[in-house]
Amino acid sequence: MSRDTALNLPEDLKTRALENARQATPVEALAPLRRDALTALEGAAFPGRKTEAWKYTSLFPLTDGHLARRAEGEAPADLPMLGEYRLVLVNGRLDEDHTALPEGVTLGRQARRLEGLTTPFAFYNGAALEDAVTLDVAANTDVSAPIQVLHVSAGDSPSHCNTRLEVNLAAGSRLTLIEQYLGDGPVLTNAVTAIQAADNAHLTHYRLQADAGDSLHIGTLLFQQTGVSRIDSYQLMAGNRLRRNDVRAFLDKSGAELNMHGIFVARERSHIDNQLCVEHRVPECTSNQVYRGLAGEKGRAVLNGRIHIHPGAKGTLAELSNKNLLLNPGAEIDTKPELEIYNDDVKCAHGATVGQLDALQQFYLQSRGIPLAEAKRMLSLGFVNELIMSLPDQAVADWAQPWLAAELGQRPGADEEAA
Amino acid sequence: MLEIRDLHASVAGEPILKGLSLTVKPSEVHAIMGPNGSGKSTLANVLAGRDNYEITGGEALFEGKSLAELEPEERAQLGLFLAFQYPVEIPGVSNMEFLKAALEATRAAQGKEEWDSVTLLRKAREACKQVDLDPQFLKRGVNEGFSGGEKKRNEIMQMLLMEPKLALLDETDSGLDIDALQTVAKGVNSLRGPERGIVLVTHYQRLLDYIVPDHVHVLSGGRIVKSGGKELALELEQHGYGWLTGGQDGGNGKEDRTA
Ligand SMILES: Nc1ncnc2c1ncn2[C@@H]1O[C@H](COP(=O)(O)OP(=O)(O)OP(=O)(O)O)[C@@H](O)[C@H]1O
Ligand SMILES: [Mg+2]
Repeated sequence: MSRDTALNLPEDLKTRALENARQATPVEALAPLRRDALTALEGAAFPGRKTEAWKYTSLFPLTDGHLARRAEGEAPADLPMLGEYRLVLVNGRLDEDHTALPEGVTLGRQARRLEGLTTPFAFYNGAALEDAVTLDVAANTDVSAPIQVLHVSAGDSPSHCNTRLEVNLAAGSRLTLIEQYLGDGPVLTNAVTAIQAADNAHLTHYRLQADAGDSLHIGTLLFQQTGVSRIDSYQLMAGNRLRRNDVRAFLDKSGAELNMHGIFVARERSHIDNQLCVEHRVPECTSNQVYRGLAGEKGRAVLNGRIHIHPGAKGTLAELSNKNLLLNPGAEIDTKPELEIYNDDVKCAHGATVGQLDALQQFYLQSRGIPLAEAKRMLSLGFVNELIMSLPDQAVADWAQPWLAAELGQRPGADEEAA
Repeated sequence: MLEIRDLHASVAGEPILKGLSLTVKPSEVHAIMGPNGSGKSTLANVLAGRDNYEITGGEALFEGKSLAELEPEERAQLGLFLAFQYPVEIPGVSNMEFLKAALEATRAAQGKEEWDSVTLLRKAREACKQVDLDPQFLKRGVNEGFSGGEKKRNEIMQMLLMEPKLALLDETDSGLDIDALQTVAKGVNSLRGPERGIVLVTHYQRLLDYIVPDHVHVLSGGRIVKSGGKELALELEQHGYGWLTGGQDGGNGKEDRTA
């Protein structure tokens, strides 16, 4: 597409989105949500060059016309299995043949209107939904086996899909959820995942994003801790042509605890933009965020970590740490903690750094015969190892180790550029 | 096996070695002594190939190959080993993982048979025992939080596993308690053999009671100013360096020392 189109991209995207939403196949269970979302979409503006929240991420790749078509490819035959139970969504549609759920978990095909989803892409997701998955975990149920939800995108020309998952943990329930995104082809996945946790619920959540480099992803992850609950979330993410992850968490009942751990890697020319926002709205909640980022070659990674402590949220404990490693000078990482604190009675700590591989550590490894490329890989892996070691589920750790080893390996041309 | 002729080298652009010559033949043990700042560690780092340690004149040959043309890992693969004066901490990389990578790379380059993980673990445990290091240290991050003495023992443990042709030990005795000194000396002596050369950098004659050197050299102002047999170390212990360095400190001060 031409530059002219790019200049009008926000409007062009909105026109496409509205058109798609109006033409989407009617689905009775989703009708109220879609109506609401369409109204919101009509009043929304898509981000342009001057939109602050999109400062580091351009939507220019979408000039290829991803919003013009819905993705219609098929999922590959052999899909990974990381848990005992698995649920597969292909281009946002549930694949019923591949679905198995444990006792105590009920599958629904509806979706809710969600407070806290405010982006045009999230509105579009709701307005054009043709399928959705809701998992309800029954009260006082300990679902011991992890449930894997695979979001597969497939298509061989620029296209997109809307995928939506909602999980509700009733009081006293326990669940391990492994969300995994797999991409094949130039497809934009426009994703919304919303998780609600009631009193004494405990969720272990994984978000594995290792889709192929030509895929695109714009998504929102929403945590609503309406009860005294605990969520431990582990997010392992590779950059791709365009990856934008918005995470919004609402701590809405005193005593709720949220722990988020993330690793993001941007190699070659890939891009990843993390926008985190934790809302402390009531007293005595705890949030703890630890993210580690790496970028190499011409990779670009962004993290914006906002912690918003409302006037009434006294006794809040909130921490955010983001350390980053630049593997070579051509890569770029932008990190910014953003604190908004509206009362005095809080303990809040944040730190963000961007560093490089340590020359002396490299030499030490080389002096033992280890080739430079391998030395760099070992040190990069060492940088994120603590997090990998702390993954509570072995199946995920077994997936993460080779993924990271490959992701952090030497890339052809990396040394030429450094020289 | 090591042939250094009129070596000049600078660190970050600053000339430190100023015409150093030294020959080490197989089976020999050489001790290098000298005042603080005289260039002993610089020599060790230049030989091992550290970044910013640049050879500006003369040459250093190891097994007939010019070291200046080899990457640090290639030097190690040829059989050169440096026990660091200040071993480097690498959190996140376990000692075992590190040993595995090091031994895989060097053994393959030297045409030695590969050790499977069971063999490797057994050998590593044995090496730990030899230097009195709890095998639990294999699981920890490389040198991470090790005490000064533990770091030194970890260096010797690596050396025992890597079986280098030429070992450069930079003040491995500093910071060791008396028992550890003997343990480490025993470890080094076990490596002595007709095929191997050892260069010890030390400030203390005491180590040389345990590892008896064939030659002792005094490095001062970037050059070797005196060489002798093991009795030279005793003389130094009694008289200090003043009689050799003409009363100056022998470190690399600003004054230009000409021959
Ligand atoms: N990066 C550097 N830039 C400038 N000068 C340096 C640098 N590194 C070392 N030097 C200098 O080189 C000189 C030699 O240092 P070296 O570490 O080789 O001494 P040494 O003989 O090992 O001393 P010691 O007995 O204290 O270990 C010192 O004067 C030191 O300050
Ligand atoms: Mg020294």
